[in-house]
Amino acid sequence: MKQIKLFLTVLAGALFFVSCSDDDAEDAARIPLGSYDLGTLVLNEGNFGSGNASVSYISDDFSVNQNDIFSIVNDGAALGDVAQSIGVNNDLAYIIVNNSQKIEVVNRYTFKKVATINNQISNPRYIAFANGKGYVTNWGDPANPNDDYVAIVNLSTQSVTATIPVAEGPEQIVSNNGKLFVSHSGGYNFGNTVSVISNDAVSSTIVVGDVPKELQIVDGNLWVTCKGFPSYAPSGTTNGKFVKINADTNAIAGELKFPNGQAAMNLGNSSISGTNIYYNIGTAVYKCAIDAPVLPTTPAFDAAAQGAASIYGLAVNNGRIYVSDDAGFTVRGKVYVYAAGNAEFAIGVLLNRTTVGVGPSAFYFNN
Amino acid sequence: MTAKKLFLGVLFLMCQIVLAQQDSIVLKEILISDYQLKHFSDAQSVQKLNDTIIERNQSSLTSLLNYNSVIYFKENGLGMVSSPSFRGTTAQQTAVIWNGININSQLNGQTDFNTITTRDFSEISVKAGGGSIIYGSSAIGGSIHLNNDLSFKKRFENELRLNYGSFSTFGGNYKLAAADAKTSVNLSVSRNSSDNDYEYLNTKNLRNENGQFYNTSVNLAFGYKLNQANVLKLYSQVFESERHFSGTLVSPSRSKYQDLNTRNLLEWTASNQVLVSTAKVAFLSEKYKYFGDFDSDHFETSKAETFIAKYDLNWKITSKINLNGIVDYTKTKGIGSNIGIETRNIGSAVLLFKHQLLHQLEYDFSVRKEITNAYQSPVLFGFGTKFTASNHYNIKLNASRNFRIPTFNDLYWQGAGNPNLKPESSYQGEIGQEITLGNFTISATAYYMKIENLLRWMPSGNIWVPENVGKVNSYGAEGLVNFHKKIGVHLIEVHSTYAYTVSENELLKKQLAYVPYHKFNAALVYSFKKITFNYQYLFNGQVFTLADESDVLKAYQVSNAGIDCNFGSKNTYKIGFQALNIWNENYQSMPQRPLPGRNYMLNLTLKF
Repeated sequence: MKQIKLFLTVLAGALFFVSCSDDDAEDAARIPLGSYDLGTLVLNEGNFGSGNASVSYISDDFSVNQNDIFSIVNDGAALGDVAQSIGVNNDLAYIIVNNSQKIEVVNRYTFKKVATINNQISNPRYIAFANGKGYVTNWGDPANPNDDYVAIVNLSTQSVTATIPVAEGPEQIVSNNGKLFVSHSGGYNFGNTVSVISNDAVSSTIVVGDVPKELQIVDGNLWVTCKGFPSYAPSGTTNGKFVKINADTNAIAGELKFPNGQAAMNLGNSSISGTNIYYNIGTAVYKCAIDAPVLPTTPAFDAAAQGAASIYGLAVNNGRIYVSDDAGFTVRGKVYVYAAGNAEFAIGVLLNRTTVGVGPSAFYFNN
Repeated sequence: MTAKKLFLGVLFLMCQIVLAQQDSIVLKEILISDYQLKHFSDAQSVQKLNDTIIERNQSSLTSLLNYNSVIYFKENGLGMVSSPSFRGTTAQQTAVIWNGININSQLNGQTDFNTITTRDFSEISVKAGGGSIIYGSSAIGGSIHLNNDLSFKKRFENELRLNYGSFSTFGGNYKLAAADAKTSVNLSVSRNSSDNDYEYLNTKNLRNENGQFYNTSVNLAFGYKLNQANVLKLYSQVFESERHFSGTLVSPSRSKYQDLNTRNLLEWTASNQVLVSTAKVAFLSEKYKYFGDFDSDHFETSKAETFIAKYDLNWKITSKINLNGIVDYTKTKGIGSNIGIETRNIGSAVLLFKHQLLHQLEYDFSVRKEITNAYQSPVLFGFGTKFTASNHYNIKLNASRNFRIPTFNDLYWQGAGNPNLKPESSYQGEIGQEITLGNFTISATAYYMKIENLLRWMPSGNIWVPENVGKVNSYGAEGLVNFHKKIGVHLIEVHSTYAYTVSENELLKKQLAYVPYHKFNAALVYSFKKITFNYQYLFNGQVFTLADESDVLKAYQVSNAGIDCNFGSKNTYKIGFQALNIWNENYQSMPQRPLPGRNYMLNLTLKF
C-alpha cells in the first residue's frame, strides 16, 4: 500500500514535471494512457523454477521506477516462471511466460490483465502479429527436435486455433506485409536458418549463418543477427554476423561481418535504431552504420566502467541505449541507460541506473 | 600411475598382516562397518537416531532429519528433489556415508535425501562438522551415517510394516534379522509410492499435479565369521525410483525422473589384541534418466560407476594410544548425455592418531592427502580433544580443514565444464559441551567456519559455467536436549534440537540465500502401558531467496501427532494413526511449491 501511495505521489510529480518541460513538447502534448505509459517496460526473466518473473517500469524522465507491476496491478498475482519476451499489438502486450506454458495478455499502459492464453502452448518463445492473428514460436519438448511449431492465435478469442510445424528451435518472429520470418537458433541444438511463413504455412527456408536470433525489419529489409557457434558447439566458436535479406524476395542482400584476421567471436544482443546497429560483446557496446563495409574493432564504450558485470539485454530507443545486467541471477539485476550520442551527451554517458527484478533480459517502449 | 603403485603397496601390506594373524580375541557382538564413526569421533557431536526413532518417523531421510536434527531442508514438493543445508552450507557440503562409504553423487556432488529410505537401516547418525579427513569430499557442514549393524546373537526375527494414507500414499517394509554364532543376515525390502496429488491450500482447487512417485529398495547386510579372528561382511543395496517432477503454483510440469542406484561393499576384517586390519572393495553405480515430457521417448541420462579399494589398519600401540592408517584408491567412470565419457582416479592416504593422555583427557590428530589427476588437492588436517570432567560434564574441541571436490558435471559438462576448478575448502573449528544429569542430557556446540573457492555456476555470455568464486564465513550454535523418564507404566521422552546459523557471503556481507537464522524442532513421546502418543513440532525461520536479501520465504511451523497401540504380548502387533501437519499450515520450503496441508496415515507393524 505504502509503495503504491509513494508511487502515485511520484507519478503525479513526474507528470507535472513532464508537462512543464519545454524540451519534450511532443510528450507533453500526449495524455498518458495509463500508469505505465511514457516509459520503458523491463522484462525480468526470473529464476527457472522459482516463479519470480516480473516486469519493471522506468519512466522516460527516470523519476518513476517500479518493480513487479504485473503483480501490483493484478491483485498480487504472480506473473509466472521465466518470462521470455513481450509482443505488442495495439493496446495489448502479450507476455510470454516460457516455463509457465502461457501468455499473459495485458493492457500495455495499465497492465490490467485481459486474458491468458495456454492452449496448445509448449515452451513458448516469441510472438508476432500479422493478418489479424498472433503467431507464437514454440519449442515443444526441448529434447525432441521434431515437435517444434508456430501456434496461431485468434486475437478476438485469445486462444490458439492451429499450429504450423517448423524446424527445431524457432526463436524470434517478425512480420512484414503479411509474411512472417522465424529465426531458428536451434533450441538445445544449433540452427542456421530463417523460415518464411506465408498463408499459415512454411513457404521457404533461408540459410543465414550460425545461430540466428534477433530479427528486425528496416526499410523493407530483414536484418538477422547470427550469434555464431558458441565455444561448446561441436565445431567450436564461429564468428557472428549480421545478414541483410530483402523481405520481398527472401534473397540475401548483404552481410556485415567482423574484419578478417581476428579470433572467432560471438555477437551478443543487438538493436537497430535509425541507420545504426548497436550490439554488445561481453560488456563492451559497439555502434556501427548498417551500410558500413565491416564491423568496428573498438567499442563505443564499456558498461563495466559503471559496474555492469554482464550485458544480458540491450535495446536502443529515442537516443538512449538501455542495457541490463543479470548480476548472476542470484540478486536483483540492474538497468543502465546510456546516451546513444547527441549534441548534449556523447555516446556512453550514463543517464540512469536502477535496480529491477531478477534476470532483466529485454526492454519494450511505451512512447 | 602413482595411485596404482600405492594400491599395489597396500595389497602387499595387507597380505603381511593377514599372515601375521596368530593370536586372536573374541570379536564384539555387534559390528558396524563405519569403524571411525565409533572410534575417531569423540571430539565431535554425533547424534544417534536408533531404530525406535526411525520407526516413529516417515520413511524418507528428509522427514527423519527435518524433525529430529538441526539440518535444514529445501524440498521441491513432497518426495521431490530434497537438498540439505547443514550449518549454513550447500547440499554438496554434506556427506552421506553408507556403511562407511561416501555415496554422494559423483555427477552432482550431493545426495537427494528423498532417495534414501530410512527403514533400510538400523541406525542413522548425524555427525556435525568436518569429516573430510576420514570420509573424503563433502563432509564440511557434517555427515549423515547410514549403518547396518550385524549381530551374532542367535535370533530369527521378522518385521513387517505397512502404512497407507492420504493421496494414496503407500509404504511397505519387510525386515529379516537372522543370526547364529557364525552368520548374521539383515535384509530389508521397502516400497513407497504416492499419487501425491495434494491440494494447494488457499487456492482455487489447485493441486500438486504430476507429482506421483514410487521407489523400491533392497538392502542386505551379511556377516560371516571365518574364525574368531576373521570376519567377512557383505553389504548390498539397490534403490530404484520414478518420480514425476511436480509443477508449481505458476508452472505446470510434464517431466519425470528415474533413479537407479546400486551399492556393494565386501569387507574382510582380521584382528588380534593389537591390530585390526580391514580390507574393503566397493562398487557403486548411479544412473538417472530425465524426461522433459513423460509421454516422450526423449530423455537425458548420465551414469557413474565407482570402484573403491580401501585398506584400513588400526594399531593399538598401547592401551592408551591408537594409530589408524587408511589408504584408498577410487576409480570413477562417468558417462552421460552431457558429460561424454570421463574417468577419474583418486588415491588417498589417511593417518589418525588418538591418545588417552589422562583419565579425563584425550586428544587426536589426523591428516589426509589425496593424489589425483583431476584437480589440485589440499592437505587436510585436524585436531580434536575431549575433556571429561565428570560423569556429568565433558567439553570437546575440534578444528579441521575439509574440502568438497569438483563433480563430474563441474569438470566435464560439455561446453561449460571447467577442468581447472579447485576443490572448495574450509577451515573450521568448534567447541562443544555435554551435560548429563540422570535422564537428562543437553549438549551445546558453537562453531566457526570459513569456506573458500566456493563452486558456483555463473552465467557467462549465453551459458552457465562453474567457477571458483566467493568465500563464506559461517558461525552459529546448536543445542540438543534429550530427556526420558519411566514411572511405573508411564514413559515420557523429550527430544529437541535448535540451530542458530549465520552464513555470510564475504563479498556482499549478507546472509546466504536459503539459510534460516533459526531452526527448532521437538518431539514429545508419552507411553502408557501399550499405548504411545507422540507429537512432533518443527519451526523453520524465514529464509532469503536471493543473495541480496531482497526476497524471502516466510517462516513456518508444522506439527504432527500420532497414536499407536500394541496388541501383541510376545510378538508385536501394532496399529497406529498419524495426523501430519495437524494445524494445516500453508508452507513452502521452495518458492511456489506448497507442501501438503493436514493429511493422515494409518500404519500396521508386525514383529514375529
